[in-house]
Amino acid sequence: MAKKRDYSTMSASAPSPYIGMFEQFRTELDEHYDRRERIIKASRDITAASKKIIFTLQRIRQLAQPLSPHIVKGNQQYYDAISTQFAAVSKDLQGLNAHRYARQISGGCQEYIEAATFQHYLTTANLLPYSDAAAQMRLLDATGVGVELSVEDYILGVYDMTGELMKFAITAMATSGTLPTPSTSSDAPQKVEADADVASDKRNVLTDLRELRSALEALDPGLGPFAKEAEKKMEVMRSSVEKVERALYGLTVRGAERPKGWMPDVMDGGRGLEVEG
Amino acid sequence: MASATMQTGIFEDLQRKIDEDTAIKDALRDIVQSLEKQDRNTQSTLSRVHSTPPAKLGGIIEAAQSSIQEEIQIVRQLEVVASQHPYYKFNYAWTRQMQDVCYSILLCGYLGGFGKPASGQLLTIEEVGGLMGVPVNLKERDAFHLTIEEYLLALVSLIEELSRLARNSVTLGEFRRPLQISQFVKDVHAGFQILNLKNDALRKRSDGIKYRVKDVEDVVYDLSLRGLLPKD
Repeated sequence: MAKKRDYSTMSASAPSPYIGMFEQFRTELDEHYDRRERIIKASRDITAASKKIIFTLQRIRQLAQPLSPHIVKGNQQYYDAISTQFAAVSKDLQGLNAHRYARQISGGCQEYIEAATFQHYLTTANLLPYSDAAAQMRLLDATGVGVELSVEDYILGVYDMTGELMKFAITAMATSGTLPTPSTSSDAPQKVEADADVASDKRNVLTDLRELRSALEALDPGLGPFAKEAEKKMEVMRSSVEKVERALYGLTVRGAERPKGWMPDVMDGGRGLEVEG
Repeated sequence: MASATMQTGIFEDLQRKIDEDTAIKDALRDIVQSLEKQDRNTQSTLSRVHSTPPAKLGGIIEAAQSSIQEEIQIVRQLEVVASQHPYYKFNYAWTRQMQDVCYSILLCGYLGGFGKPASGQLLTIEEVGGLMGVPVNLKERDAFHLTIEEYLLALVSLIEELSRLARNSVTLGEFRRPLQISQFVKDVHAGFQILNLKNDALRKRSDGIKYRVKDVEDVVYDLSLRGLLPKD
């Protein structure tokens, strides 16, 4: 080993002529890595706050009703947190950089859209359209330019929202024995089993879920990273719809036998990929 | 009052947007594929350097340069199409191929191409961008350009190729070149060492440089042990 130094001394003395060039690269790359990390962190915080909003919303049992004051109040802090995070990184996501860090902010955007579309559905029984969702998200950065919502993140968020609709539907069925419907929620809840109302064209969470499913199935995601993600979420969504269908089947067949408050075990399935056998 | 159905028709609008992007990707793919094809041609020319004595490199360099000129024409076409869209939205579609073009230019330049007076020179990112006719390292303006990452990844490829060339030079009886390569590889390695790389492709690829440095050192060591190094 010692011998190796005989010839290497000639290079050890002179500093590399490329150091100056690399110092410049270092400055640029540091800037890029710092920005990327800020965005990743914001995205994580937005995801966490959105999950909490969704969790609170899952306590709701009725459809097309305004949010109760304690839910609005309880969720305010999470909306504030999301606002803060979007505002913190909106400058990092402009111009040339708008798409550069799309992958880093995508998770937060999707989760936020999941919460926003879920809340919109609960209060209006309608799907929050892309343009409204994008406007809403931009407004979260009240003083700044806002963060642009991509069509892809919107769609992926809607995919995730179907999982929340599944939980909402099943919890409602388990606790009240009915599938929430937009038209009857203000009146006395209608029993699903009565007169095979299920088969009629009346809207309820399940018919909406099915409609969403067929709309998402009709969507051609093209090729690329978005298509791959959409494909994964498609499986989860299909099994969500099926879980509600199974629960409704159980409710229709066993209806009266079912003890009040009994919960189907599909509840645990959550957003997992597993379709129970 | 809730509407009769959910407004799922709004997906039609989104489908149109997705389809537009798909059409752009298709157009880009055609250009990128022809770029890839042309670069294979350049690489196949340049690979003859492993079996050609340095004195006879002239023809190879000339052929490689004219093939690279063809590549640059395609890069220009790419620039025209890509410039119509946000740069980073589609840059994944061409970043590999831009690295490859950059690498071909770097290798050709190292061997003495592009008017470099002698071999063993590193073309800077600005020089490469100048040859390609595209801007480099844009920070504000959203336009087609060569990124730092692409340049650095191409530089890693150059190091890998040169470590192979060091061994093959010995086989050709050329004992001066391994020394030159050893110095060059060490200098570039020293540069990479001052970067604060995070876990990404650049980090992964540049981690391998130290092994290439050692490979070339081993060649020089073998030569020195046998007294085969040129005396001056």
